[in-house]
Amino acid sequence: MDNVFTLIRIFIFPGLLFLSILAFLFEWIDRKAYARFQNRIGPLYAGPSGILQPIADFIKLMGKEDITPRYVDTLIFNNAPIFAVAIPFFASLYLPLDGSPILSSFEGDVVLLLTLMTLYTIIVFIAGWASTNRFSTVGAARAILQFLAYEIPMFISVASVAVYVGSTSLTYISMNQPVPMILLQPIGFIVFIISMQAELERIPFDIPEAESEIVAGWLTEYCGPKLAFLRFAEDLRLVFCSGLATAIFLAGGSGPILPPVVWFVLKMIFIVLLSSYIRSLFARFRIDQMVSGCWRYLIPLSILQLILTRFVEVGLRWL
Amino acid sequence: MPSILAWSRIRSPWILYMCTGACNACDIEVLAALAPKYDVERFGILLKGSPRHADVLIVTGAVSRQVAPRLKRIYEQMPDPKFVIAAGTCATSGGVYWGCYNVLGGIDKVIPVTMYVPGCPVRPEAVIDAVAKLIAKLKSG
Repeated sequence: MDNVFTLIRIFIFPGLLFLSILAFLFEWIDRKAYARFQNRIGPLYAGPSGILQPIADFIKLMGKEDITPRYVDTLIFNNAPIFAVAIPFFASLYLPLDGSPILSSFEGDVVLLLTLMTLYTIIVFIAGWASTNRFSTVGAARAILQFLAYEIPMFISVASVAVYVGSTSLTYISMNQPVPMILLQPIGFIVFIISMQAELERIPFDIPEAESEIVAGWLTEYCGPKLAFLRFAEDLRLVFCSGLATAIFLAGGSGPILPPVVWFVLKMIFIVLLSSYIRSLFARFRIDQMVSGCWRYLIPLSILQLILTRFVEVGLRWL
Repeated sequence: MPSILAWSRIRSPWILYMCTGACNACDIEVLAALAPKYDVERFGILLKGSPRHADVLIVTGAVSRQVAPRLKRIYEQMPDPKFVIAAGTCATSGGVYWGCYNVLGGIDKVIPVTMYVPGCPVRPEAVIDAVAKLIAKLKSG
């Protein structure tokens, strides 16, 4: 019986099925909010208020012709989308969606999650590289270059929360915050959100797939089911990153009256709306501006946050 | 099952847009159709950069001899099922450039065309109407 319960938790709620529904829902929320910020209407006719639009896109792409160009590295080209979906799925299973983690929780799983995010960037790189298209290659190289810039401030901003709470277990961090960390570490939160935009390749930092410069970046040669999987992986990554931000900075599922899972999803939606607001507010940076900006401003800010964390900790004890 | 697939195709036609030597009037009007005032994302229409991602190819301008093989290659790079909309008088027949030494004529000389939109230049409403009629055609099978 216990096994059945665990399997239901992993595969249905709050596991893979629930995460997939959240992924499609978040893409819709993101597109609709983005359209409203631009004074447009956004998806309207696919289901009520266009809520089925991401599902329509997914099914349509699954039903299209699957082309493998002649000069690509077939093995990597065909398998990269599968890994791209598997990695965020696996990472999301460590989110404390309903107060306890879906799969398991151990000391140090934050490090594992950040490593998995790094691994996704490597998948992006080899997917672009295996396409052997010049636009894909440029996009892949840009993805790696961008990754050198945003990953470090992101890690340090997560580390300063871990230092404050005194644990590297995501569930423990999200459950043991006296007040939500966004109030105690606002600089860290801002750094995390900016790095998250870069991680998700969203607009100020959509340099690896800049459509006005390099067609579609590393995605250029992908079509049909493979593109459907890659787009789905992006949505899952949005779920995962907003979940990570929620668990680390917004105290996870804790809140009055409503059950933890509702609070967790509401806070994730707040992060998604924040992300689409940033997306509609800015234009794209050049790659050199992005890298030097991250090294000049984001890393010093995140280190400042790490130092301030210690002061806040000592100060609170003194009070 | 095929009905779900048909529904999804109707609800998300992604557009690739190509200029084969137009005078840029049609291009501006087609881009105006994609801009916030007409907001074609209501119908699930997105503008895509890569032919591998697109379902509908919108072509403007008479086909010159130089661009003809490229138009054909772009069409062949698109995955099935794919549709072509010829936007503007030049794209449908060659327009004022008909009979020029370097002009082949309309784009149906090179690739099969699903929908013709006349007009010099086309109105953005006409382009949206063409996509809506394409969707209606898909619906009826």
